[in-house]
Amino acid sequence: MEGADEELMLAYRDGNAGAFQTLYGRHRTRLYRFVLRSVEERGAAEELFQDVWLRVIEARNRYAPRARFTTWLYSIAHNRLVDHWRRKGLALVDLENVEVEGNNPDPARHAEARQNLLRFARALEALPPAQREAFLLHEEAGMSVPEIAQATGAGEEAAKSRLRYAIAKLRTAVDDG
Amino acid sequence: MADERDPKVSQRYRELGSEEPPRHVEEAILAASRRAVRVRPAPLVPPTGRRRWYFPLAAAAVIMLSVAVTWHMQVERPDPDGYVASAPAVEAPKEMKAKEEQKPAAKAFTPDPTQESREQAMRDAPARAAPQAAPPPVAGARAPEAARADRVFGKLSEQTIEPPEKWLERIAELRREGKHEEADKALEEFRKRYPGYKVPEAALGK
Repeated sequence: MEGADEELMLAYRDGNAGAFQTLYGRHRTRLYRFVLRSVEERGAAEELFQDVWLRVIEARNRYAPRARFTTWLYSIAHNRLVDHWRRKGLALVDLENVEVEGNNPDPARHAEARQNLLRFARALEALPPAQREAFLLHEEAGMSVPEIAQATGAGEEAAKSRLRYAIAKLRTAVDDG
Repeated sequence: MADERDPKVSQRYRELGSEEPPRHVEEAILAASRRAVRVRPAPLVPPTGRRRWYFPLAAAAVIMLSVAVTWHMQVERPDPDGYVASAPAVEAPKEMKAKEEQKPAAKAFTPDPTQESREQAMRDAPARAAPQAAPPPVAGARAPEAARADRVFGKLSEQTIEPPEKWLERIAELRREGKHEEADKALEEFRKRYPGYKVPEAALGK
């Protein structure tokens, strides 16, 4: 089924189960990574990811396309993450076991690439929660500053500042490599 | 926000991997989405448009049907009085003659309106049934209607088949013979059968 996200959500609200499946297919991986890199463990990430979608299902009758569907979806995710952070404290998923993609025939270069990636992962983990969230929304959801502000309930200036700081710190981690 | 984007940072972030949600989680989500669509909430507002006529119309139809069935059952129910009268009615010509002869006695009869209408119905019944009553009257044989009524109500005594005038005459004769106890019983039976019938002094025994 083709159509904008908002149209699909309205179709699902009106009883079209296939519309939800299409919508889910479009956002599943990005939302999952956003949640996974915002919490401390994979199990919690799976639980939160499922919970976000169940809230979307529950809220279908109240849905009205006042903003982009993506903004609405990630604002739900943001609220769930805030609840989670309050309960558990903030930490990222363990990135120590991250593997470099691709087949590099040179072992030395492969090890170097892995080190660069670990440095970047640690830099991401070290970001303050609000900056990291702004960065993940920007990268995973493709959100602009106003959309980040809307999804997180922050002012546009604050959102812009968070994103700018996050990118600056991560750039340092990249350049160091 | 184009000025904020750093291709190197984005590239490095992509290299972290592209994890996907586990299959069991995805199946649970999609199953929940399908369930939610199947179980739709009932409408909170009353039916509008054409549907708002359904309930009053259905109620009116039920009432009409109930009244019609009740009325039909009352009309169709075999009336013991009517059935009793139908049996001797096959001998109508003979009875008509007897009635002609007993005109003075008939004048004394002042039936109540309901009794009169019932009697009228009894007289009319054989006339209506006549074209359908194919078997001719056979002496000693009871009419098919009487036989059917017997099955329903049990066999009635021969006394109840007796015309009221003859019955009263017999009671008066019993009194003349001094058989008052027997006459009283017969009178009691007669009053049960013909509650509105005026009983002459001779039968009363007073």
